Amino acid sequence: MIDVTVLVNGETRRAAVPAETTLLTLLRDHFGLTGAKSGCDVGDCGACTVLVDDVLANACLMLAAQVDGRRVLTIEGVAANRALHPLQKVFEDQGALQCGFCGPGMILSAKALLDRDIEPSRHQIRDALAGNLCRCTGYAKIIDAVAEAARIMRSERANG
Amino acid sequence: MADDQGVIERQRAAVEAAWRVEHARLPSAPGRTAPAVSPPAVPAQQIRAVGQRATRPDSRNHGLGQTKYICDIALPGMLHARIKRAGIASGRIKRIDTSAAEAMPGVKAVVVGRELPVNSFGPTFQDQPVLVDEVVRHAGDGVAAVAAISEDIAAAAVERIVVDYEPLPAVLDPIEAMREDAPKVHPPESNIYHRLTIRRGDVAKGFAQSDHVFAGRFTSQMVEHVPMEPHAAIADWDAAGRLTVWATIGRITLARSDLARTLQLPMNRIRLIGTIVGGNFGGKNEISQEPALALLSKKAGRPVKGVFSRGEEFTATTVRHPFIMEYRTGVTRDGRILARTARLILDGGAYCSWSETTLGKSCILAPGPYKIDNVSSEAVAVYTNKTMSGAMRGFGAPQVCFAYESHMDDIAAALGIDPLTIRLRNGFEEGSVSPTGQVLHSVVLKDTLRRAAERFGWEAHS
Repeated sequence: MIDVTVLVNGETRRAAVPAETTLLTLLRDHFGLTGAKSGCDVGDCGACTVLVDDVLANACLMLAAQVDGRRVLTIEGVAANRALHPLQKVFEDQGALQCGFCGPGMILSAKALLDRDIEPSRHQIRDALAGNLCRCTGYAKIIDAVAEAARIMRSERANG
Repeated sequence: MADDQGVIERQRAAVEAAWRVEHARLPSAPGRTAPAVSPPAVPAQQIRAVGQRATRPDSRNHGLGQTKYICDIALPGMLHARIKRAGIASGRIKRIDTSAAEAMPGVKAVVVGRELPVNSFGPTFQDQPVLVDEVVRHAGDGVAAVAAISEDIAAAAVERIVVDYEPLPAVLDPIEAMREDAPKVHPPESNIYHRLTIRRGDVAKGFAQSDHVFAGRFTSQMVEHVPMEPHAAIADWDAAGRLTVWATIGRITLARSDLARTLQLPMNRIRLIGTIVGGNFGGKNEISQEPALALLSKKAGRPVKGVFSRGEEFTATTVRHPFIMEYRTGVTRDGRILARTARLILDGGAYCSWSETTLGKSCILAPGPYKIDNVSSEAVAVYTNKTMSGAMRGFGAPQVCFAYESHMDDIAAALGIDPLTIRLRNGFEEGSVSPTGQVLHSVVLKDTLRRAAERFGWEAHS
């Protein structure tokens, strides 16, 4: 067993897990954070996307031991200060979520993009979401939603 | 006593306070909202739904990662199931030895096909076993199921199950499967398990009157639905003999009757909970592992969850029918269609599933949305030793659409007519009669084509 201490969504969490435990299993089975999903278990679909030290990661391909002493952000930590993140709000308003299974990963990939570039082109948005598969929407509404969230964040920043 | 009352009061106050905090945390989801459109898309007095944006009531939870799909549900004491897949296209089971799997620490139950009270199901023909007890008909057939305290142990236990097969000849090509001497997928029955012919007018006469007769052959491939959420279910057979199943199934009443039939349980002993589904597209319209999970739960006395791997999604769940489509079309010099025949072969794979529905729709739609006085459309569904074909978005309509529109393009090119023109010359109009004799109303095909051509600059393009 390996002892892992992780700062998850701003909270220090500890677990003793078998060495082969993935980050996804750590989050879902040990910490009860089921927002990240297992869609393919081989890093193709992006449903398990989380941020590790602000960098996107497929939680199904990382070992729990690799995040020891690091920061992890899951979808459960994206809404803050009793408010939805602009991405969550716009995804909801514009129907970018249908079955919703890809949603947590999609929103985190978009967040990683907007955290470093608040004025992305549509091409950059598409590129940022390339690792996240969606089978319902055809992507158009998701790309529109990310563009709209970026616009809202720019205007909030300008006014804020 | 007074102290107890005080404790209860304090607990209640604490629970209520926690509830208030929980519910104050985020703004509640909005109801349906109308986007600001100026001028309004429809006059105010007509506004009901058109022009309004309906906010999906489940989006808030999806975006927060709070939606509970089956994979996110854990019941106390819950076990995890894996299914042993045959891995061969055709063979007879000589022996299944599950003893090594059963002896593994952490394994709580193993089930094989002969333990199912009625080992068959299917929405049209009940030709599919829950777990194969005798003959394997495609590589994704399940032969045994294991429930263990973890998925890893269940997967390891499945590897310890030994199955001896007598290999049987397999037929993988639907045209070969239609031959008299082909190996039978469900002997002694013919591999052709469903057929339909639709005729209107006199095609021989229509072809005789035609200036040109064109032939085309089109094929489409197998397509998997690939829902982001794999098939998943939890079965809980309680001590009173009642079964509760959480399942990613669209048709919960059909699923409940299939569970009642396969398990020989009265319907009122079964509670089936259709959960939020992470994508269906027609692939989650019938039971799959649920009866096996129910028996595992009954044996183990604990709830059992089963989640398919991505590999199982491709091999052990239904797919879109591959079609072979042969067309003949007789036309006048100026491209008016006088006669058309369509012959469809549906590769049904190992089991019928929703083939009957798919065959019916594709046969009706095969001539296309064109005014043709003389039509004949024939379709057959054929068993092969492959993953079973079933329902998928459109029930066979996309396959024939691909064929008849490709065929129209070929005819237009051969006659030197613009592809849009040939469609406008033949397309359905108000009052046109379909191949089945249905008089059509609210037909806007030509208008749609014209407007679409205008919008994307077809004239300039051609």
